[in-house]
Formats: sequence, structure tokens, C-alpha cells
Amino acid sequence: MATKQEISVTVNGVSYQREVEVRMTLADFLRHELGLGGTHVGCEHGICGACNILIDGKAMRSCLQLAVQVDGAQITTVEGLRNLETGELHPVQQAFIEEHGLQCGFCTPGFMMSTLELLGENPNPSDEEIKHAIGGNLCRCTGYENILRSIRLAATRV
Amino acid sequence: MAIEIPKSPEELPTTSPRFVGKNVNRIEDPGLVAGTTEFIDNFSLPGMLHCAILRSPHAHARVVKVNADAAAQLPGVEAVLTGEDIKRWCNPATTSPEGWGTYPMAVDKVLFVGEPVAAVAASSRYVAEDALELIEVEYETLPVVKDAREGLKPDSPVLFEQHESNVIHDRTHIWGDVDKVFAEADHVIQEKFRWNRCGANPMETFGCVCQWDVIQDNLTCHGSYQTPGFIGLGRSASLNLPSNKIKVVSHPHGGSFGGKGGPRGTDIASLLSRKANGKPVKYIEDRMEYLTAGGGQSWDRYYDASIAVKADGTVTGFKVDLLDDQGAGAEGYGTISVAKPLAAFTGCYRIEAAKYSLKLVATNRAPTYPYRGYGPPPHNFVLESLMDKAARSLQIDVAEIRRLNYIRPDQFPYTIPSGNEYDSGNYEAVLDKVLDMADYKKMREEQAKAQAEGRLVGIGVASTVEPGVFDWNAYATVGVPGVGVPEGVKVSIDILGNITVTVGFSLEGQGQYTLAVQIVADYFGVEMDAVRVAYAATDVAPPHFGPGGSRLGVALSGAILGACKKIEEKFRIVAAGLMQCEPEHMELMDGLMRIKGVPGAEMPIAAVAGAMLARSDLLPPGMEPCPEATYVWTAPGRNEPDDQGRCKSYLTAANATHVVLVEVDRDTGFTDILQYFIVDDCGTRLNPSTVEGQLQGGVAQGVGAALYEEYVYSDDAQPLASTFMDYLLPTVSEVPITEKGEVVTPSPFTPLGAKGCGEGAIHTTPAVIVCAINDALSPLGVQVRETPASPNRVWNLIQQAQQ
Repeated sequence: MATKQEISVTVNGVSYQREVEVRMTLADFLRHELGLGGTHVGCEHGICGACNILIDGKAMRSCLQLAVQVDGAQITTVEGLRNLETGELHPVQQAFIEEHGLQCGFCTPGFMMSTLELLGENPNPSDEEIKHAIGGNLCRCTGYENILRSIRLAATRV
Repeated sequence: MAIEIPKSPEELPTTSPRFVGKNVNRIEDPGLVAGTTEFIDNFSLPGMLHCAILRSPHAHARVVKVNADAAAQLPGVEAVLTGEDIKRWCNPATTSPEGWGTYPMAVDKVLFVGEPVAAVAASSRYVAEDALELIEVEYETLPVVKDAREGLKPDSPVLFEQHESNVIHDRTHIWGDVDKVFAEADHVIQEKFRWNRCGANPMETFGCVCQWDVIQDNLTCHGSYQTPGFIGLGRSASLNLPSNKIKVVSHPHGGSFGGKGGPRGTDIASLLSRKANGKPVKYIEDRMEYLTAGGGQSWDRYYDASIAVKADGTVTGFKVDLLDDQGAGAEGYGTISVAKPLAAFTGCYRIEAAKYSLKLVATNRAPTYPYRGYGPPPHNFVLESLMDKAARSLQIDVAEIRRLNYIRPDQFPYTIPSGNEYDSGNYEAVLDKVLDMADYKKMREEQAKAQAEGRLVGIGVASTVEPGVFDWNAYATVGVPGVGVPEGVKVSIDILGNITVTVGFSLEGQGQYTLAVQIVADYFGVEMDAVRVAYAATDVAPPHFGPGGSRLGVALSGAILGACKKIEEKFRIVAAGLMQCEPEHMELMDGLMRIKGVPGAEMPIAAVAGAMLARSDLLPPGMEPCPEATYVWTAPGRNEPDDQGRCKSYLTAANATHVVLVEVDRDTGFTDILQYFIVDDCGTRLNPSTVEGQLQGGVAQGVGAALYEEYVYSDDAQPLASTFMDYLLPTVSEVPITEKGEVVTPSPFTPLGAKGCGEGAIHTTPAVIVCAINDALSPLGVQVRETPASPNRVWNLIQQAQQ
């Protein structure tokens, strides 16, 4: 049960080499081993999308994978969005603030990851395409309206 | 000293408010979008252990034996907690009415699936869950009370053996001559309704980190607490500690909506810490725990209700017979959910007499907890459905029957039969505006065309009152004591003129820290970034309650304005001394203390604060060098309830009318929301974008309650919705983007004229959607009287109609 295995991953541009228990979820690895607490865990069964991160550019659930499965991968979490040199927020983050796309903010990192994947593939999405992209993210506060606005605004800036 | 609180933004000491009433960006947001906000699972303490809880698989069973020896031996396990420890250290939960609470962990029998029976603290959550598998529990199953109807039967098993039956509360309220109005009615419209369990489901579940100082016998609980002071008092009662030896630290939480739960988890983590010789213990509830046994189940109700109607459509009486399934006891204050409708029992209407018969029953379902709205959403669904049924049988338009019965603008303040006073409103203006926005006449024409084509298209119109700024007296009828809900803040100005507001509640999503900064910045004429909000734990915070009952925006405004006013009074004295005039000649305006009528004779507030802190030689004799003030606000004019529960309870009465157009798919029973319009009147809008966010968010939860969300139980009270694959939260595809408008009728009684606005949409949305579905189904001669109006239920009705 407590078998360990060594993995190498790049998270937000930083390379990590760690020995992890094979049963540790990727979400727990990021949050508790690497101290990247911005990825939130809402359901641990793959429905809510709060734990979405980018793995090799694709938005994926970090609760449904084990850390050992991402050996060699490039990962982006919410902590990797801000420009560390200038201190500026990423345009997607800024758009969520300006359009009031969050209330409690717990699901927001997951929404932003889905947004980044969408805009990476489709810089000028229609509303239907936006809805499709965030169809796997649950928000209990906002009623989604301002999230849609936020993503529309982000699309004009990314 | 009486403090005058400004009743409108125009009364603030500023030429023109720059922030209050404006769509400012929220100060909460940068940390939230950057992922740095310290939600409870991002918090840890040195040496911290992790808790996992073993839960009952049975709905009703005697716990014969718990053997945790093997678990205790597992490497990494530092403490195991069982019913024996609980009996020794703990008391059952306090409830209203009294005597319907259980221990945080079963000590002799379990009353619902998911009830804790043992818990472990270990080096990691993984190890703790391994240890749970080593615990052996021997159960002797008992007959199950599957729902409230079963629980009422004379031969039903009794859950709480100290009581003779499962009936927690049985009472009939009569307000006015209800028999007379029903006897004199031209029509009595009667119907039965069923509201199935739904609930809060914030995206973050409950979590806490508790540390028992075994030397000093102090307890510190960090957690996602909506109401930290209240949680502290509850722990004092359950854990046998003096209230001042419990410190509760509320962390920012990922939503709450009343249904965050927490008492059981906190008690268990605290006692594990005590057993682990004072090491801190973290408990993070997982989603399946939340769905089966957390604080997220509410409103499990059977209604039989009727209205008395005159030939012209005037509604004169309203009778409600409610059977409420509280689940396994009253630990979650689910009882309050049936008391709250007293605050707006008769909705928007001039109904002169009413009767409310209540039976609250304990069953082997999970205990019920608060959920946004706290009771009126099902109540409004009943009243609005009856209004529609009356309109249909009298052949009056559904909008017009409402208009006919509205309380009129010149009747405010208006006392309803159940005793509460509505502060202000203009219901007809709200209706006219929303009908205009929806182009209601055209909508009806389009509907007629669609119906001619055989499509099931329907329109819903529903009007509600949202009681805002709750008071404990509203819940006196179920045994809750007290009048007044104090909310306090401290405002401090430092030697450089920077300002800190200290509050007793944490972030939850409603933007209250932003509101605090908006008001202070306008009051003292500074930029918003010169104001910081600091959270104070229960050991140092002023008296506080936190968010709940649509109160915090108003209560916080009152507290801040009171504190600012007190500082202004001090500054008047200090500045008068410095500028050699009388205090009554000084005034605060745009951040300057100035001599009235003498242009240029002024000094900035930073200079006054600086003088107070650094030039005691210049202060008037005896002046306290303290440029800060604490003010504790509570709603004015609240009173003790009479023998029928009548009192002035909720301070404000916001109003809304929603209009919705739906289409029901004949083949699948699926309801598609085609158009959705809202006009809302919640008085002064202090941050309009926040208000709109509250409305849209409430619509989403209302859509869930109306169409999708249901805690389904089997006949042996096994929960069948224990994941998000079974309990269906609406996604972006199900929630309509609403078109919103506003009418502003300020409250004459509140700070800045604002009204509570956090619950209005969920008060209205379930009602209006079901009304629209019924309008769509009316050509078939069937009607939905049960929520959620899921595709399955609606399809069955359609089949029934076609037979």
C-alpha cells in the first residue's frame, strides 16, 4: 500500500523530482507535497472540475489521476498564471475579477484552467463553445452568467 | 449616546459617494483568482494529524460492539475515538425544541446512514482511512422509519427513546378569523404538494483543524465556519468547556448557503486532538460524506394547503398544513426552516387571515440543516401554485390576480397576519416593469401559436417577498430564545491615516469585505486601497454573528457607519481643539475636518489621527488618544413574540417578480427554460454587481431545486444520491441567463436604505418554474405538485394524461 515510486514533473516551469506513494492522487501531490494549494478539491470523483489543471496543455481532473501517472509531464496550476516578473495577473484572472466571475472563488481555478485550454485551441469562441468548454465545471455561487462574461472578456485579451 | 446611522447614501459625509452604490471590483478577488486565499485545507499546523470518520451503513441499528484495537495498532495512527470516549467527554447537541439532539458520534445506536461511529487521527488521511478498515463494528439492525408519514404512525419505532413519539413539534397557529374568511369565500382552492429534500452543496465541503490544549484546557478550532461565534457557543455546550476557553477561527470558505455543517466534525476532531495529547487534528469532509451526512439536506415536506378566494379574485385566507421530515433529530436547526415563513407567510398579498399547522417528525433520514432562504422557498412554491390554480379556475390572468391582491404602496409599513412588519415596497411597479421587459402580451401570443402546433409551452409569473435581516425572535415558535442579533466591527485609523476595519466573519462569497471598504472609504474620503479588512477570531472580535438570513450587508453597514460616526465625534473634539473653535462648528466632509462656513479652515483626518496618537500635548484635557471605535449594530424595533408567534422579526422586505417561459418536451418530460426575466426591489443597491450576482446565483440554485436536485432515499432509508452523479447540480447548460431589472424603494429603517437581498431569487425561482411547467401542461389536464419537476416525474404525468 505504501509503495513509493520516483517521479519527475515540471509544474509551472519548475522541475520537481519526488518519491511519492503510488496511491497518492495528483491533487494531493500538488497541494500537500508541492504546497500548491490553489488547486481545490470539490468532489474527488471527477464531476465538479474544481481541481482542473493543465497537463501538457489539456485541462484534466487532478483528483482522478495518481501522481505517478504524470511522470514526465508538464503541468500548469493556478499558481503558474501570474507573471512572476511583473507581478501582473494573467488576463484570464483579470477578466474574472472585472466581470465578477466569482463569488466564493473555490471553483474559480478550475474554471480558469478550462478557459485556458479553450482559448489555447480557439481564441475566438462562440457562447456555445464556451459553454461546452466549461460544461464540466460546477459553480454553486454565480449562476454562470458572469463566468461567461469573464471568458468572453478574456478571449479579447489572451 | 445615541448614534444616528445615515439612512441613505446622500447622508454620508461626502460631496458625492465614489464607491457606495457603484460597481466596484471586489477586494476579495485577487487572492481568490491567484489561488492564495487560505481555505481551510490549505492551512496546517506543525505536528498536525489527519482525521477520518467511520460511518454507519445502517439507517437504524443498535451499536453492540466497536473494536478498534487493530486500528490503534496501525503505524501512523495516534488516536482512535469511539462512543465510549464521546460518552465520557461530550454532551448531545443542543436543539430547539430541546431534547432532539444526539452525540456527535453514536454511543449506543445509529439513527441514519452516515452517522459517525468511530474516528481515527493518523499521520495522513490515507493512513487514517486504512485504519478505518480495521475497525470492527457489530450492529443489531432496528426497524426503520423511512419518512415522516411512517414516523407518525402509532406503531412506528421511536427514534429518541426519551420521547413518546417521533413528533418533534406539533402546533397550530391561527392569525385572524380564518374560519370566517373561508366560510365566506366564493371559492376555496385546495391542493397537496410534496417538496423533496434538496440542499446547499457549496463547492467546498466542511473542514476544520482543531487543537485541544491539554495543559490549559483551551480549544482552538480553525475551520470553514459561517457563524464562528455560534459554533463556539455550541462547542462549549457539547464539549463541556467554558465559552471563553474556545477560540474559533473562521477561514475563507468556498460557499456555505447555510448548509456548511460542522458541529459534528469539529467535536470529533477536537476530541481526537484531546486524545492525541493535544496534537492538532485536521478533518476535511469529503463530498460523499457531505451528501450523505453533512449539513446539506433541507426541506423534506408534505403540504396540504388552501386559499379562500372571493368571486373577483381577492384572496382573503391562506391555510397551510405542513408535515416536515426533520430526519434524525433537530441538531441542524432544521426546525427553524418551518418557523421562518412566519416572516412573510402571506407573501406579497393582502391576505387577512391565515392558519399554519405544523408537524415536525424525526425519521431515519439524515438530520436537516439550513439552506439559503431557510424555509420560504417551498412555502412560496405552495402559495404561488395556489394563486395560479385560483387564476385558472376564475379565468383571471396569473399576473392580474397577483396585482389585484398586492399590498399597495400606501399601506407600508404593513403588518401581515403572522405578525411581521414589511418596511416598504412597490409591488405593482415591479410587476409592470417585468411584464414590460418580458413583453408579456407578446409572450402569451407566441405561447398560443406554439400550443396550436401542439407544443407544451408555458409561462410562469411569481411574486415573492424576501424577509431580510433575520432576528432570533422569528424562530421563537420552535423554542429559539432571544431578540436581537448584534453585529460589531472596529474601525481604526492609524498614525498615517490608513484605516483598518476589524470584523468577526470571514470570506464566503458575498463580497462583504468589499462593502466594508466601500463604506469606510466614502465616509472618510479615502481611496479604497487605504482601507483594509482584518478578520478577528472569536476570542477578540466584537460581538458578531456573520452572514445568514439576508442580514450581513445591512448589519455590517450599520456597524461600520456607527463606528465611523463615533470616530467622527472624537475627531470633531480634537480638531476643534487644534483649530481653536467649538466642536459643534466642526464638520467632516470629503476626508477633511473643517470649520463650517470658513473656506480653507480644514485638516485631513490623517492629521487628526496623527495628532491623537503623537501629540498628546495638543489634545483637550482628558481626551482619550484613540482614533478608533467599536460599534455593535442590531436591528431597531424588534420585539418579543406574542402567543401566536407574532412579532416584528425580519427588518426588511425585499420584493421580486420573475417571469419565465418554458417548453416541456412531450417525449422526454424535459423542461427547457427559454426566457427568464427578473425585476427585483431590494432598496438601495450598495454594490449593484454584487446584488446581481446574488440574484443570478439564487436562480441557479432555484433551477436545481425546481428541476434536478433531490436527496433520494430507498424504503429502508438508504441514501441513493451520494455522489454528484446522482445529486444533480445545475451546470452552465441548465441555468438560464436572466434579464434583470430593478425598482428601488429604499427601506426607511435601515442603514443607507438597503434591504437583505441574498435569498430573493431562490425564494422565487422554484415557484415560477413549476408555475410555468403547469401552464405548459394545463392543456393536458395534469399539473406538477412535487419538486423537483424532473423529466421522469413530468414524463409520467404526460403519460397519465394521454391514457
